[in-house]
Amino acid sequence: MADLEIKDLHVRIDEREILRGVDLEINRGEIHALMGPNGSGKSTLANTLLGHPSYEITEGSITFKGEDITESEPHDRAKAGLFLAFQYPVSIPGVSVANFLRMAINAKRDEPIQVKEFRTQLQHAIDLLDVDRAFTSRHLNDGFSGGEKKRAEILQMAMLQPDVAILDETDSGLDIDALRTVAEGVQRLHDEQGLGALIITHYQRILHYVKPEFVHILMDGKIVLEGGVELVERLEREGYDQIRQEFGGQPELAA
Amino acid sequence: MSAVPNGASEDGAGTNGAAPIQVKAGRHREASLYSALHGAGAGDGRTLTQLREAALKVYEEAELPVWRRSGFWSTSLASLDIDALETSVSETGVPDVVSRTLPDGPRAGRIVQSAGAVVQVELDEALAERGVILCSLEQAFELHGELVSEWFSKRLLIDRHKLEAANAAFWTGGVFLYVPYGVVVEEPFEIVYAIDRPGVAQYGRTLVLGGPTSDFRVHEYDLAEDFEGQALHANAFELYLQDGARCRLAQFQDWGSGEVYDVSTRFVGVGRDAYCHWLPALLGGHLVRQHLELAVMEKGGDMAFRGLFFAEEHEHLDVFAVDLHETGPSGGDVHWRGTATGESRASFEGLIQIDPGAQQTHTYLQIHSMMLSPKARIDAIPSVLVSADDVSASHGGTVGELDETAIFYMQTRGLDRPAAVRVIVEGFFEPLVAELQDEALEQLVRGRVQQKLAAAREDIEAYATSR
Repeated sequence: MADLEIKDLHVRIDEREILRGVDLEINRGEIHALMGPNGSGKSTLANTLLGHPSYEITEGSITFKGEDITESEPHDRAKAGLFLAFQYPVSIPGVSVANFLRMAINAKRDEPIQVKEFRTQLQHAIDLLDVDRAFTSRHLNDGFSGGEKKRAEILQMAMLQPDVAILDETDSGLDIDALRTVAEGVQRLHDEQGLGALIITHYQRILHYVKPEFVHILMDGKIVLEGGVELVERLEREGYDQIRQEFGGQPELAA
Repeated sequence: MSAVPNGASEDGAGTNGAAPIQVKAGRHREASLYSALHGAGAGDGRTLTQLREAALKVYEEAELPVWRRSGFWSTSLASLDIDALETSVSETGVPDVVSRTLPDGPRAGRIVQSAGAVVQVELDEALAERGVILCSLEQAFELHGELVSEWFSKRLLIDRHKLEAANAAFWTGGVFLYVPYGVVVEEPFEIVYAIDRPGVAQYGRTLVLGGPTSDFRVHEYDLAEDFEGQALHANAFELYLQDGARCRLAQFQDWGSGEVYDVSTRFVGVGRDAYCHWLPALLGGHLVRQHLELAVMEKGGDMAFRGLFFAEEHEHLDVFAVDLHETGPSGGDVHWRGTATGESRASFEGLIQIDPGAQQTHTYLQIHSMMLSPKARIDAIPSVLVSADDVSASHGGTVGELDETAIFYMQTRGLDRPAAVRVIVEGFFEPLVAELQDEALEQLVRGRVQQKLAAAREDIEAYATSR
């Protein structure tokens, strides 16, 4: 059984069915890419996996490390080892990055983390993400640039050490330097900590820096094509329209 | 968070299941209930005895006040049984709530009044040698009569309502702090008013003088034990800063769970090139009505007027904060934040008043409120009265709710819902709390906010699901 198993997942938001039977399996140590045009349901899948209350699961199940988490609270999923890097990270005024990280780490533990251990971990993450030390005393995402927000997401991921992380369009809106830093950060967490990742992206850019073993194409709420990294190249050549024609997607549902 | 348009608070009628008070939209918008003290006080050469006699007359003739703003808001003391209260002057020692609450850090001095009597006075010896005075106001009238009489009630009045008159007529104990010319004190002077039992009418009276170029901190604590029954705290506080003086004034107010009424007037006058940073933290009281006035009285004066409040359960809070500029050039910066849970009501009226001739005054007023409960209500009413043409005065504010996206974000990091709510509310207050610049006091305020959130947990959940 895979670490994260998604079976026949149907999801609605505001009476509209967005996911129409998604099956996906992700293990620790595997990097997956989920690609698809706008409106195909990528972000819905990401939010549903972490239990966003606005998304209603009408059919199917999500199992994580053998436990059915279909109905679990978001924080329980996080404690179990799931992580979501947000497409649009939320600013939390009045709370520093470091304090927030400490709270998040302590939420997963019985005993609060020792100051020294926390500092060591934080320094490691700072080096990995190429950020300034002062960065961690700023209020979380408050007044951050797009690139800083995405770095802060990966910084949190590095500190929380999830088993499987979902990265929801982490590459969007990044310049090439930020993109490289973020992607290399993910790759290193994979190499060093055995992170499993589902990289959700509209574009192919990020996949030049982080190498997925599995690629899935999502269209109109269904995975229509799966394969290896060669799929990325095919997409680059042909675009989504070609694939849509081939697999009979329903264009009227695409945004 | 949505911006509040110029001059308007959220519509008066509750839209979230609160007891409906029918108000036509916009009807209350121009309704300013209160006005600034603005001008000379009662201390116009009369002796203390004469002032007490005049005040007594007002007290005997006046009814308990009801302040009503266009029907949708009223602060009424009708339920206060004032005749059943007494002003005890017997020395009962320092109440437990004082030792329980106050930080045990270094301090310049401490004075504690319990009910009607000053029960503790301590002052750093080195400061006493440099001329600093900290004693009861009664004693100050005896020992430093000339100095005290010059400033006493310089700007405070005695006849606007029954409780103001009661204070002026009946005050006992009281606090006098004098920091002379050029004396700089790092550690805070602590002023404590405590009520240890029901049935007490406490008439607090504070006079603080900062001599030219003095620099000091004052931390006031208003505390009561948790008891059942009524008590009254009516305070008249005045602080004057002379040329170039600087003061950081903070107030931690938490009257506990008893039925404590607090009707107080506080005036801070900033002299030439002087500066005051004033931050009241209003964190509890059955019915609290505060008239807080920070005035630049002479050229070059500058001020930062901060404040936060958190009303809960059935508390009623009515704050009138005045940013008064009597002359220019002067500066002002008013920034308040508040929230409410349970079925509490909070009204914050903020007034910028710039007098004729107070040219080159620049000031700004911002009020932020956060709604946490379906039945709680906060009204934020900014107003601006400008009588000079070469000035800038503006106001802004936000009315926010708990941001579900932010809660989900934090949940995906492993924080449960209550923890996420706590982070948001603490973060909401943090810009002001951090300005206290005193670790122990900051922790005290943060801790009290946490307690209130924990107590309102179910209520906050109910709000989330009702939206």
